[in-house]
Amino acid sequence: MAGEATWLHAVFSSSADARDAVRKLAEAKIAAKDVEIRSSVPLGELPPLGSELRTRVPLTALCGGLVGGTAAFMLVSLSSMAYPLPTGGMAIVPMPPAAIVTFEGVAMGAVLSVVATVLIEGGLLRLRGRPGPFDRQLADGGIVVSVRSRAVPPAGWASNAVATEL
Amino acid sequence: MSAPSKGREDVLFRPLSGVRPGLVACTILAAMLAGVLWFCWGYQIRYDIGVAGINRPVFWGLYIATFVFWIGISHAGTLISAILRVTSAEWRRPVTRCAEAITVFALMIGGLFPLIHLGRPWLFWYMVPLPNHRGLWPNFRSPLAWDMMAIFTYLSGSILYFLLPMIPDLAILRDRAVAEDRGRFRARLYRLLALGWRGTPQQWFSLEGGIKAMAVIVIPVAVSVHTIVSWDFAMTMQPMWHSTIFGPYFVAGAIHSGIAVLLVAMYVLRRVLKVGDYLTDQVFSNLGLLSLTFALIWGYFTFAEHLPVWYAREPSETAILLQRVSGDYAAAFWAMVILNVVVPLGVLSFPRGRRPVGTLFVGLCVLVGMWIERYLIVVGSLRFPRLDFTLGSYQPTWVELGILAGSFGMFALMYLLFMQLAPVVSIWEVREGEQHASRVGGGVEPEPHPVVPHPLGKRA
Repeated sequence: MAGEATWLHAVFSSSADARDAVRKLAEAKIAAKDVEIRSSVPLGELPPLGSELRTRVPLTALCGGLVGGTAAFMLVSLSSMAYPLPTGGMAIVPMPPAAIVTFEGVAMGAVLSVVATVLIEGGLLRLRGRPGPFDRQLADGGIVVSVRSRAVPPAGWASNAVATEL
Repeated sequence: MSAPSKGREDVLFRPLSGVRPGLVACTILAAMLAGVLWFCWGYQIRYDIGVAGINRPVFWGLYIATFVFWIGISHAGTLISAILRVTSAEWRRPVTRCAEAITVFALMIGGLFPLIHLGRPWLFWYMVPLPNHRGLWPNFRSPLAWDMMAIFTYLSGSILYFLLPMIPDLAILRDRAVAEDRGRFRARLYRLLALGWRGTPQQWFSLEGGIKAMAVIVIPVAVSVHTIVSWDFAMTMQPMWHSTIFGPYFVAGAIHSGIAVLLVAMYVLRRVLKVGDYLTDQVFSNLGLLSLTFALIWGYFTFAEHLPVWYAREPSETAILLQRVSGDYAAAFWAMVILNVVVPLGVLSFPRGRRPVGTLFVGLCVLVGMWIERYLIVVGSLRFPRLDFTLGSYQPTWVELGILAGSFGMFALMYLLFMQLAPVVSIWEVREGEQHASRVGGGVEPEPHPVVPHPLGKRA
């Protein structure tokens, strides 16, 4: 059908072969958006396809920690000041307990932001995701490399690249 | 993945499919024991806290001792797993999942005990950071408020740290369940829990970054939790509680008991699920060495805790010390020392003792020893306050003992249900370890399994 993309899928059993296929695709200057690699284990470094893997986890953990810590400190200080208890001349907002609660707030904020970042970056939370091709092979440890080809029949370079092991 | 390792993995999937009569029987037994907890708690709510043995001056009895015990047990997973992850210990791979599960379930049970101890659990909301009907907020000067914050943070963090690395395994289970057209319930459950995981490089990259960050965050949180639990005691003027080393002493004890429960759980898993290929003798030996280390650390802290008391001869503290060493609690005290230090030292110092059976024996001994320690700290100290005229005694009632026994049933029940819903060994981490080993060892990657005919089709 004109304009509809055709996908070629190949299942590799070793990460070296999958890397080799990806390298060939990179050499053929295939755009990253036209290649999808799926595996049941992290593959580590892959040949560059024009897009680098990025994560903002450290940054969001830091920001989440700051927000959580600030919120916790405000909880202690504002709630102490909202109904000042008789403290015998000591501080209304006690610093050591505030530090303890703030620490827990920092940790909580960081944890929640890390999880949120992983979910957002990974495009997760698609609870109704449909099964993909070769999911079973993927579950058994295979590595699925898929290439999108707009030509019908698929261009030779695509078949050659993913057909390494076949 | 090689055919042998593929076949090896079958043992991990076996309890997740169909009905296993042995597992079902164990689950029913555990549920019955857990029922004792709910029955006794219900009885206590119906007839009020007077059915428990706590009374002046022993206001904290078996419930608080058991609370401290379970919170200590919870250090098995998240802390140990996080430390092993941060240090990139390769042998951690088969251990982390079963350890993290212990943390989550132990914390849930530990968190119940303050509610049980309250007598009127519905008053618990006074500890929630919300103003009550008089506009009063929780008093954050109280260590109990810190406790609440710390345990809530640790529980939330532990649950997320437990679930995050499980997503890829849940996706594996989802794909298997869909392909094999197994029960609808499982397929739906795994599809829901896998969150649409596809295993793309970006997902892996983010997940690994997230797990590393969580591991770094969760270590100080775990340390803070048991330190704060110890401050519940140390912030009072009660003799033998007002101690500067209570924080690290409690943390060391918590990790000691955590490793012990992990050894016991691993032995049971190895025997019941036949996962000896994963939970190997080497893993038991490594954890045995860790247990030995913490036995020595705990022994050192115990000595350091008691020596200044003996030396200073402060009357109210000496009275408690003498009760422990040669008085009413002497049997319990020396049993504690033997179970927590002498037995681990005598067994785990030798390679033969670090075999699974030896580590199981030590694990059970340490668990009993650490519970005795918690009991001695709570009850053994409270019985002898500074003012002599308030001396009292304490005897746990059947309600308290029922709740204690039921808590073990509850823990077993949760663990058994978990075993039947998710793999107890992290499949993707083990696979990654195998790949890593084959690369580092200069070995050839495993033989490929039968290759699928060259597919050509539209993307699903």
